[in-house]
Amino acid sequence: MAKGSTEATVLGRGLRVRGRVRGEGDLRVEAQVEGDVTVSGALELGEGAEVRGAVAAETVTVSGALRGDVEVRGEVVVTATGSLRGDVEAASLVLEEGGQFHGRVSADFELPDALA
Amino acid sequence: MAATVIGPGITIEGEVSSDDEVIVGGTLRGKLESEGAVTVEGDAVVEADIAAQSVAIGGHVTGNVTANDRVDLLSGGRLVGDVKAARLTIADGAVFKGNVDMEV
Repeated sequence: MAKGSTEATVLGRGLRVRGRVRGEGDLRVEAQVEGDVTVSGALELGEGAEVRGAVAAETVTVSGALRGDVEVRGEVVVTATGSLRGDVEAASLVLEEGGQFHGRVSADFELPDALA
Repeated sequence: MAATVIGPGITIEGEVSSDDEVIVGGTLRGKLESEGAVTVEGDAVVEADIAAQSVAIGGHVTGNVTANDRVDLLSGGRLVGDVKAARLTIADGAVFKGNVDMEV
């Protein structure tokens, strides 16, 4: 039997989860998830991923579709294929060209002196 | 590489269904359905009914297990629940409590 205990968690294509996902470490999602997702590490929503629920992690990268609020300590990145509908609380937010975002952002950043 | 790996440290509470193989190394509570193979690894804890093409259990499972093809209870594995499968193996060192229906 293959020992996969060091393998990172992947919720693959063709998987559907209705419920809560939480835990330590990184998580890659290519699946459909209806429910909240909370991990201590990096959360990556791959192309084709559909997540409906609140998301909390150290960092979040959205290349799929996310509908729900995001709370991270680090950075949120919405890539060119990503779409995010929800409020974001993060240290920083990156929206790449082509990426879609609808929601409110509350990020801590310093305004340049001219605007402060 | 399996389509889905629920690694150690990850807990899923709810219903999980998959068109593909699922490897559980963490904790799963609720229900698990797969059209492929399901592997419950040594340190995994599953408190759920499992229905899949085949099921290999090396960790702890509490729940009923149904497989179209086969169920393998591996050494070190522990299953409390009923098994419904055409083929079943129980390895030396495995713990099993429940009924078996081999659909004859």
